[in-house]
Amino acid sequence: MAADRRASWLKGVLDLLVLASLTEGESYGYEISKTLADAGLGQIKGGTLYPVLNRLEEAGLLATEFRVTERGPGRRYYRLTDLGRETLADQASRWLAFDESVRAVLTKGRAG
Amino acid sequence: MSDYFDTLARLLRDRGVPDHRITATVDDLTAYAQESGADPEEEFGPVAEFAAQLGPEPEPETGGPAEGTWVWTADIFADEQRLNEFGDQGWEVEKVDRLGRFVSHRDPERAQRWEYRREVVLARGRSLTERLAPDGWEPCGTWFHYEYFKRPRAASVGPAAAIDSPPPAAGRQLFFSRRFYLLAVLLLVACVLAVVGAARTSGSEATGFTVGAVVGATAVIVALWLLSRRRDH
Repeated sequence: MAADRRASWLKGVLDLLVLASLTEGESYGYEISKTLADAGLGQIKGGTLYPVLNRLEEAGLLATEFRVTERGPGRRYYRLTDLGRETLADQASRWLAFDESVRAVLTKGRAG
Repeated sequence: MSDYFDTLARLLRDRGVPDHRITATVDDLTAYAQESGADPEEEFGPVAEFAAQLGPEPEPETGGPAEGTWVWTADIFADEQRLNEFGDQGWEVEKVDRLGRFVSHRDPERAQRWEYRREVVLARGRSLTERLAPDGWEPCGTWFHYEYFKRPRAASVGPAAAIDSPPPAAGRQLFFSRRFYLLAVLLLVACVLAVVGAARTSGSEATGFTVGAVVGATAVIVALWLLSRRRDH
């Protein structure tokens, strides 16, 4: 039940987390997944991550470049577009306001 | 490992994804799987489901609305009845857009029944909303002087408001009543009679009247045409 709920929370904010993970510069799928796992969000499988990356790219929030490597298959690198940055700034502040409200209610509930 | 990606490439091709895109995607995912050391099926899920998430949605065969959202309209003689009919099928109106269409959505997995009412609002204010709020009604759109309210049926019947298997969405977006068509026909007939009557008289007044009547008739025809065009938006 706890794991299900965590997955549900993540579903609502994963696109913002992906955008936020690219503010420092471009990255690729597995590296994004590792960045989010290292941040304490748990392992995000490729089956969850790639559909989100696709949606963000189709919405013009991410730009991609496919690069062939010397050894092994090529990789697709993702970077934020200007629209992606604007969207992240706007949506992140909305999420934080929502988080603040949730926190206030839960804190009050625990104290009661 | 290659079986998974071969199948994925084939499924993406079936969904109309361009070849260069498929190559880049499969290469990228292969690199991901190699770096993570995970089994592709475990990492990306069942191949058919994953392909469905990566590839574009296939075009609906019926040309009807996509399950989940639906934009439709009805004339003022039928809207409340239609709202309740579709609300009973799980459609929740989010807003009335500037063309007077009901922008609705339905969660196919957790559909709930809704009920609606329409009120005439002559002066904007919160009094009506505040008066209806204690009974669970909330505003869901405004069209000129009409305000629409919705209420989940769960407010009165509880869990029985859930719909286990919602019926398919209606295949059209326009719901005009017989009264509407009758009114339209009467207006046209009135305009035609006015033109004919004016043509039998003479003088500049008749000419002015004829021009006015023609303009009026044209306006009615254009209005009807615009209304019928709504289904194409």
